Amino acid sequence: MCGIAGILFKHEVPGLTTGQALIDMLDGCQHRGPDSTGFALYDGAHSGQLKLRFFVGEAEAAQEAIARIRRALDEHDAKIVEEETIGNNYRVIVDFNGNLQKFSYAIEHAAKVISIGSSLEIVKDVGSAAEVDARYEVNKVHGSHGLGHVRLATESDVKPEASHPFWATGFADIAIVHNGQITNYWKMRRRLERRGFEFTTDNDSELIAVYLADKLSQGLPLKDALQTSIEDLDGTFSFLVSTDREIGYAKDRLAAKPMVMYENDDLVAVASEEVSLNKLFPGQALQTREPLPGTFATWSRSI
Amino acid sequence: MVTIDLGAVPVRDANEQIRKHGKAGENVEIVNPDARHHIGVGLTAPIDVHIRGSAGYFCAGLTDQATFTIDNNVGWGLGDNIYSGTVIVGGNAGAIPAVGIRGANIIIKGNMGSRAGQVMKAGTLLCAGNANFMAGYMLYGGRIIILGDSGERVGEDMTGGEIFVGGRVQDLGSDAELTDMSSQEDESIREFLDRFEIPFNGSFQKIVNAGKKLRYGSPERQMRSLPFFTFSGGSSYWNAKVQEDIHIKSQSGRYRIRGYGTARALPHLSDLAFARDLSRSVGTADVISKVQMYTEIGGINGANPLKLSMPVMVAPMSYGALSRSTKHAIGLASAMSDIAENTGEGGMSDAQRNAAKQLIFQCLGGRLGWNIHDMKRADGLEIYISQGAKPGLGGQLMAKKVTQELADIRGIPAGIDLRSPSRHPDILGADDLVIKIEEFREATGYRLPVSVKLGAGRVRDDIKIAVKDGFDFIELDGMQGSTGAGSSEVIDFVGIPTLAAIIEAEEALAEIGRRQDIQIVLMGGMRDGVDAVKGLCLGADAVAFGTSVIIAGGCIACMQCHVGQCVTGIATQDPAHEKRYQPEVEAQNIHRFFESVRWQIAALTHALGYDDVRKLSRNDLVALTPEAAAITGLPYEPAPRKRSAEALAG
Ligand SMILES: Cc1cc2nc3c(=O)[nH]c(=O)nc-3n(C[C@H](O)[C@H](O)[C@H](O)COP(=O)(O)O)c2cc1C
Repeated sequence: MCGIAGILFKHEVPGLTTGQALIDMLDGCQHRGPDSTGFALYDGAHSGQLKLRFFVGEAEAAQEAIARIRRALDEHDAKIVEEETIGNNYRVIVDFNGNLQKFSYAIEHAAKVISIGSSLEIVKDVGSAAEVDARYEVNKVHGSHGLGHVRLATESDVKPEASHPFWATGFADIAIVHNGQITNYWKMRRRLERRGFEFTTDNDSELIAVYLADKLSQGLPLKDALQTSIEDLDGTFSFLVSTDREIGYAKDRLAAKPMVMYENDDLVAVASEEVSLNKLFPGQALQTREPLPGTFATWSRSI
Repeated sequence: MVTIDLGAVPVRDANEQIRKHGKAGENVEIVNPDARHHIGVGLTAPIDVHIRGSAGYFCAGLTDQATFTIDNNVGWGLGDNIYSGTVIVGGNAGAIPAVGIRGANIIIKGNMGSRAGQVMKAGTLLCAGNANFMAGYMLYGGRIIILGDSGERVGEDMTGGEIFVGGRVQDLGSDAELTDMSSQEDESIREFLDRFEIPFNGSFQKIVNAGKKLRYGSPERQMRSLPFFTFSGGSSYWNAKVQEDIHIKSQSGRYRIRGYGTARALPHLSDLAFARDLSRSVGTADVISKVQMYTEIGGINGANPLKLSMPVMVAPMSYGALSRSTKHAIGLASAMSDIAENTGEGGMSDAQRNAAKQLIFQCLGGRLGWNIHDMKRADGLEIYISQGAKPGLGGQLMAKKVTQELADIRGIPAGIDLRSPSRHPDILGADDLVIKIEEFREATGYRLPVSVKLGAGRVRDDIKIAVKDGFDFIELDGMQGSTGAGSSEVIDFVGIPTLAAIIEAEEALAEIGRRQDIQIVLMGGMRDGVDAVKGLCLGADAVAFGTSVIIAGGCIACMQCHVGQCVTGIATQDPAHEKRYQPEVEAQNIHRFFESVRWQIAALTHALGYDDVRKLSRNDLVALTPEAAAITGLPYEPAPRKRSAEALAG
């Protein structure tokens, strides 16, 4: 129940940050999801370092959570390089060289992880694109590519942790935004759980993220992972996925959820509705394309 | 030519202006459209609208006579339900272009999205590029011309109309077949292409309905008249009804279709009692003047509310299941009792419109009878998602009931076994729904309340979506609700009882703190004012009556509504049968029934110690059975019943 957006810049475009581009696109389709808004942003990786974001809440609860996180980081030889609290988030950069999946499952038990990656940071909270931006300064994030999502909550409550994008728990730098409903959710989830994967929510979008991350970690290119996802996942979906280098989409065979894309020399932009694309190019008639049912594609960054 | 800049003017204001220019006969040019939704919606004048750029969802939707030219692309639902006129798109169209159109020429120069022409009734949809998945899905009439490739499953479940494909026919949909094409048809297409200056030299393949799937070959044998009350009241496992059921299935070889509601005993309002002993209050004279019952429904977001003299409405029942005379009588009765009537599926007849003082116009997935002109003369608009008797399913109207007049109102061929789809073409989630509601509001100048009819299923989620998507009120229908025709297994075994539905609805709204943002009209098994008061106590803002209304108006409850030979003239379209029905007489009967409901509501409210129905609350109720207590969370207090049983015995 939502609207999605994704952008990948082929090179630096003066005057437009990835953050601002996504804010504009989501503002264009906020009617599709008034409850919460989220962004997956990729910026400035340093080798040997990880960026972690957590929901810690406020006041005393936040202090306690942060203390727990610090202890857990310490236990896993993650050395804090930089830390701050923004909104209800605790953001920390650490030096880390161990096994990321084990590390993230352990950290998950200490506090609610939003994302872990060398360049990925997920920012998501209740409210509109403008409100979330005001709280987290999304517009300042330059980066090369990213995803965005607006959500109307149905099954679960309006909680920041239930909003999108979803991080592929346990896998660095992979995020997903999804519009639709996966109907073989439990079957697929049990299959992945039997193989040791952990899930932090009951949201079907997290499943897509973990599913794809699993394929990628087996060495499959993103394209191939998307292709198998169309065969393996049942239901209605249009989703976007991002890694530290690429963005991609997949669309179900029933063509039940909208998606439009636009590409020029500067960028590739994908959104639920053309009105979001036009937010980037006001007053222009764009040569857009609607992906066919059962198709997928990826774009990778060259900067 | 007037220019409107959508970079500066919001769509809502722009549409007002376009309609004003339409009245004055002035053409309009739209600049900076930037793919915004609902451009031109609701325009009913013969003017040209030129959109310089791309338009969003429902461009030119719910219009009549106008000509739209869009230079670039359009989003979902291009020309939704358009009556007549022309729409020319220079670029691509999103999903479901020409959905439910009743006429008009729609020309798309680029490609078009999935399910093009879904539930289309008449007119021509031409796509110069390729079509996508399921073009012509559930097509009822008109023609679709595709110069490029057909896309997969073209013509899926079409009942009427024709599809012509100039490119490759990729894959035929279920119950569609290729057939020969006449030279007249070919000429007519070439003439159409010339008229719109679209070059094409190839040849066409023609696709029509194969007639193998969507037909009931043999009509169901008529059964003995065995009243519903005998049927559902019986306690024996193998009763006469079960026996007859098996006999009939042994002949027809398929599931049964019947009218009325569930025959199973389910926890219901009769399992609740009032917490206080009301025996002493009975008999108060002139109780109606002592209790405030006037209720407004649908005005909370600024629309003109329905003004009800008591918190009661008529449940939506279709003109189709019911005869024109019956709808007429109900309309008259609703006006006499000063409450609201509802068209149900299948359109609005003049007789009904003129009889009912306040009339809600219902929109279902088949868009049968749905159109801008009747929307404008309605007092409320309602999106049907499902109903309690058969949540999640579509409807059936047997060929016998699809007369010429009925077919004309619905915009379909006469004499077909008509299936109404279970889904809306353009509502596949809460996100699409919000854009659909906005379209209705735009088309009618934000004057009319927009409601949703929900059969109880996933009540908790559905209610949250309803309030978040901005409906003005919900018609919440429990499993005890009736239907004009449904599969009897579904009627009996699918759904959530009315009692559980209202409780879950209230809880859902409390969870998100939004109770004040929506109103609830509860229905499904309301038999009298006592049930009504209990519904109000549980939180409903009003209640609605369906079955009781037709019984009050002469229904003998034989449950053969679907067959079309109703002896009382109620559930029939056969003039010979309908002749027996006297609308003026039955209107009086229905009116008197409503007045008894009014008296009961007043008497009970007064006896409970209130002067206003809004003061009723859950605290006024107790549960008489453990099941009802478990469902409602009310105290389980069977004692009063025991007392009165003792009193009777004594
Ligand atoms: C003959 C008949 C036709 C109906 N047609 C419709 C319809 O077109 N649309 C709708 O929403 N409900 C329809 N219903 C269902 C009623 O609106 C309502 O849900 C139900 O009758 C309420 O329960 P009750 O009959 O126990 O009062 C129909 C019911 C009957 C009996």
